[in-house]
Amino acid sequence: MSRRAASFVVGFALALLVGGGLWWWLPGRGGARTPGAGPEAAVPTGPPVGFQLYFPADGGGLRAEPRALPVSEAPKDRLRKILQALLAGPKAPGLARPFPEGVALGGVQLGADGTAYVDLRWPDHPDPPPSGSTEEIQRVYSVVDSIVLNIPQASRVVLLWNGVQRETFAGHLDLSRPLAADRGLAAP
Amino acid sequence: MKDRHLWACLLFLVLLLPVLVAAQGGQPPSSVGASAGSRSSVTLEGREIPVPVTISPSGPMFGLSPLVETLGGKLASDEAGESITLHLADKDVVIGPGNSIITVGDSIVSLSQPPTRGEGGLQVPADFLRKTYGDLLGYSFEWHPETSRLIIARRGNRDLPVSLDVVHLQGMTTVVLQFPEEPHYQIDRSKPGAVTVQMLSDRLMPPSPPREVQDPLVQGVTVEPQQIRLQLAAGAQAESYVLANPFRLVFDVHPTSSVEVPATPAEHGAQAPGIRTIVIDPGHGGAETGAIGPGGVQEKALTLELARELAARVGRLGVQTLLTRNEDASLPLDTRAAIANQNRADLFVSIHLNSSLGANAHGTETYFLSPQATDSRAARSAAAENTAPPGAGTAVAPGAAPGGEQKDVDLILWELAQSRHMAESQRLANLIQGELNQELQLKDRGVKQAPFRVLVGAGMPAVLVELGFISNPEEEKKLQDPAYRGQLVEALTRAIAKYKATVEGQPAPGAAAPGSPAPGPAAAPGAAAPAPPPAKGTPAKPPGGTGKPS
Repeated sequence: MSRRAASFVVGFALALLVGGGLWWWLPGRGGARTPGAGPEAAVPTGPPVGFQLYFPADGGGLRAEPRALPVSEAPKDRLRKILQALLAGPKAPGLARPFPEGVALGGVQLGADGTAYVDLRWPDHPDPPPSGSTEEIQRVYSVVDSIVLNIPQASRVVLLWNGVQRETFAGHLDLSRPLAADRGLAAP
Repeated sequence: MKDRHLWACLLFLVLLLPVLVAAQGGQPPSSVGASAGSRSSVTLEGREIPVPVTISPSGPMFGLSPLVETLGGKLASDEAGESITLHLADKDVVIGPGNSIITVGDSIVSLSQPPTRGEGGLQVPADFLRKTYGDLLGYSFEWHPETSRLIIARRGNRDLPVSLDVVHLQGMTTVVLQFPEEPHYQIDRSKPGAVTVQMLSDRLMPPSPPREVQDPLVQGVTVEPQQIRLQLAAGAQAESYVLANPFRLVFDVHPTSSVEVPATPAEHGAQAPGIRTIVIDPGHGGAETGAIGPGGVQEKALTLELARELAARVGRLGVQTLLTRNEDASLPLDTRAAIANQNRADLFVSIHLNSSLGANAHGTETYFLSPQATDSRAARSAAAENTAPPGAGTAVAPGAAPGGEQKDVDLILWELAQSRHMAESQRLANLIQGELNQELQLKDRGVKQAPFRVLVGAGMPAVLVELGFISNPEEEKKLQDPAYRGQLVEALTRAIAKYKATVEGQPAPGAAAPGSPAPGPAAAPGAAAPAPPPAKGTPAKPPGGTGKPS
């Protein structure tokens, strides 16, 4: 191989190396292509902040589980992190996951009037799980209370299932209008 | 040698350049301003406006700020900078960069792609513009991909017929303005004693003949091509909201606390109290199974068994009983209450079996509607009930009425229906829970409140009874025993008998003996029930919050 050709190959390799490194390193480029992350994932987080997550408890009702979550100051970021932790399930005994494994957070929105919109997604399940009224109350209010009792900017919650607001999840609670927190359900 | 190195360095830079560009943009440059000489452009009625356009793989994105400057509206960002609000035509459009869900007023709108931060501030897709400037201000947006051109135009002014309904109920007046399509309007409250709906781009066709309004709170409603004006009585104030399908702009007009409102003739004429017809609602049905026990028992099957048995036993009290369903069929929640309303039932009892997340839940509980389920109208109406006697109209399911104009009134009455019976519902719930405890010595989970949809539209005392947890293996087994179910039904029957006696001013009886004469089996839904609704006493405002009443 001539020196000229060798220089060409070395130059080309260096260009690929440097370009590839930049591609991977620049924020919002390579990272944004990983599943589940989007532009909102770039919100910088601060030190862990203490929250109370309200999980379904044995005997019916809800019970608070303290959690420290790394969040930013932004209310919507806090809302998202709280819900992701809630859907992941409790750590303490005697508490239950509010929704079956596979139910994920599709999106959140926080309106200027204090209404939080929460889209829960469960692929291949057009309907929420069937249940009795206590189970439906535990599911819905675990979300509502965990939001409203932790985020001062949110006063009520609209729940969506696979992107659609429904009259009810399981034939009892009226979900056609925003729900406020039910402090009576949530034992500290 | 030096030449070789020079060529190698040049080659390196030439090769590095496109890689760097790709790293910055992810693709060849396509973000361009719509200024002269660029490929993409935005025109408003033939005039080019400088809007940055980015062609992403999912479609074009447009810089929002210059569009707002041109088309109108006001942009504001929250303190944290994560939500941006566009105030447009009396509505707030809340946008979260990176989130494809936005809110337009009270509506949720899903976009084809999320707004992003970029050149010209926030970049939005074309469907955002159609859902905001298109729907609210009457602009049309046509994207031509072959020329990369967005053409904005004002749609021609529409001539919209408007119909008017005014209903006065329980000390509050509701004014319903119905349109075939959502108009472009804004509400002006700047003049005291009046509310004006100002059209932004449409012309109104007033109702013919003009509607005379005789109302204690609304002195007049004037419909002109460019505006609708509500003239309010002294001391009255109005709040507005919208209903969809068809589009209705609704004003609730209520007095301030110092103003006394005379009752309308329809609010008089209460009839003799009595319990003549009871509608029993077996929960769930059809594809909607309700709770499923660990042994596979389905709630819908047992609720039907329990409801049939209850109808037979309550029938022995001399009361007509109707079932909302008498087979394994699905039935919308509003229809269940509508069956009770259409048959002028005096009580509505929805039978359910429970399930719980977590372990160890067992026992019975009885619910009546929580105030949270009623909106501000109903809450005010419940408060106003202290000064107005009951006896006004009975609600049917929204949309069930044959006449279009009547539907508006029905829809309003529907959402008010249960609010005026909540104290009586609580009394019935207390009686039921007391009898269940006495009969079965079960864990008393108490009387509770929740925003249950099936109770909202019921125009009579209404409760939802949970007769045990089929998620609990022990209770699931007991509930399959007909004798145990008979005990539950007996307790319910005794409670209803006691309630009936108190309403009718008689001494509280024991339960009807199982062998006493029966007037007949439960009737099918829709059977004639000419008995008028009873006049109830003025209910006290029920305790607030969901869960156990204090």
